[in-house]
Amino acid sequence: MEKEPGLKIVDAFDLDPEVRSLLKPQETAEGKDGRRHQLPRYFYEIPSHEAARDTRLSAHFGLNELLLVDLKEAERLRAYPRYVPCAVRILAFYLERLREAVGSPIHLAVNGGYRSPAHKLAVGATPHMWGTAADLYRIGSHVLNEKDTIEKYNRLAEETSGELWVMPYGHEIGKTDDHIHLDLGYVSLVPREMSEDRSELPQELPRFAFEERRRADRRLPIAAALAPGAAETDTPDD
Amino acid sequence: MGSPKVLSRESVAAAEISLYNSVLRIKERHGLEALGIAFYDGETTLQWAYNADAPFHAASTMKLAVLLAVERQITRGELMGDAPVHVRNKFISIVDRRPYMLEVSRDGDPDLYVHLGRTMTVDQLAYEMITTSSNFATNLLVDVVGVPVIQRALQELNIEGIKVIRGVEDQAAFEAGLNNEVTANGLLKLLRLISDRKAYSAEASERMLQILLDQRSKGGIPAGLPEAARVAHKTGNISTVHHDAGIVYLEGRQPYVLVILTQFDASLSRSTAVAEISRDIFECVAGMTGA
Repeated sequence: MEKEPGLKIVDAFDLDPEVRSLLKPQETAEGKDGRRHQLPRYFYEIPSHEAARDTRLSAHFGLNELLLVDLKEAERLRAYPRYVPCAVRILAFYLERLREAVGSPIHLAVNGGYRSPAHKLAVGATPHMWGTAADLYRIGSHVLNEKDTIEKYNRLAEETSGELWVMPYGHEIGKTDDHIHLDLGYVSLVPREMSEDRSELPQELPRFAFEERRRADRRLPIAAALAPGAAETDTPDD
Repeated sequence: MGSPKVLSRESVAAAEISLYNSVLRIKERHGLEALGIAFYDGETTLQWAYNADAPFHAASTMKLAVLLAVERQITRGELMGDAPVHVRNKFISIVDRRPYMLEVSRDGDPDLYVHLGRTMTVDQLAYEMITTSSNFATNLLVDVVGVPVIQRALQELNIEGIKVIRGVEDQAAFEAGLNNEVTANGLLKLLRLISDRKAYSAEASERMLQILLDQRSKGGIPAGLPEAARVAHKTGNISTVHHDAGIVYLEGRQPYVLVILTQFDASLSRSTAVAEISRDIFECVAGMTGA
């Protein structure tokens, strides 16, 4: 994988209420197949369009390519700072491998990378909400809207890695006829810097000062409860 | 300009009779199956209509209703003109919910297809929808605002006679007889609101007017006018209809609004009937007011 993108990693529970309500960290989303999945909690915070453009996830993929959305995405999530699940790096790794296999540039469609649970296309759990799915509308000079082309590249994607699932060609729901959809399933990435304990005390070496301040605010009641002599109280839920 | 010019009852009556006879001759000469005309002159407040409440297949004149709905949403703060829209050639038929694609070669603006997979703004799409009559831009905007909002916009402004139930090139719907419809009076009402700066707001009306003035198609109403005339208009053509609806600006007078709807047998090619009627109306106006 490429070197650390250098973006701030955030726990979505620590984000402001509006953003948190849109990202729905660790809430459960149900797929069309009835299976339920827990939404991601850890995100990269992208401060600006320039940062998105300049952050390389792999040799040929910039973070901005996985953030392309239109007005179907919630307006707040289209404004910077923007958020993308940390697992997007894993997707970029596989996209890079596919690019090597096809030997041509791969173009992601708008709404074809990360989509939040608030996105209007989010009618059920889809790996797009985990940042682990990509919709490709063009590979090299081939626009992907014909059966032969889609099936050819679908096969190539499947041969690239057993981890990649590709949507079959077809006109019905659950199939595709104007792009290639591939995904890694519902992968959540927990960065090593983050603790998954929801009531953890502030880290000894806080890496993200801004985040630490808010986290500290949230933990004040917990710290007070753990202080010697404190009365037993309910811990407020996140 | 200023207060409406008062015409004598006799001169109005004579002009109406002359227009009526002329229009009937044009209808017969071009073998039109149906003809609808609505006219309002802001200079004289003269109104004239022929078969103006008869419904016609809307063809691309329905794009005026889509534009109105877009401006409604912008005025209400529910849509931003610079909001990005995914340019994707995939639409859903209202008949069987099956997806369909538009043919690039048939679009008013094939250049739009270079944006496939990327975005264009609402403003850009609205501009292409009207000025080049792009079906692709139209369907994208219909998806953005939704058919119910288009219909609501028409109801809110008491515009009767325009029925929008779908986007364009939905062949399954066409074959099932499910079409957008317009009347000459309906389109006249819509354009008068824009002309009077009363379509949602003066700013919204002005935006629509500027787009309509940039219309690239010069057939239809402009073809019957002097070169100096400026026309804010929208044409509509399919194999059996040729329409035009516009606001005509002539130097030194208030504008007039004119809608001409024609229907003919598919075996006939599109005629110059709309331009001829436009010329007759202009000559009538000029004769009465010296335009």
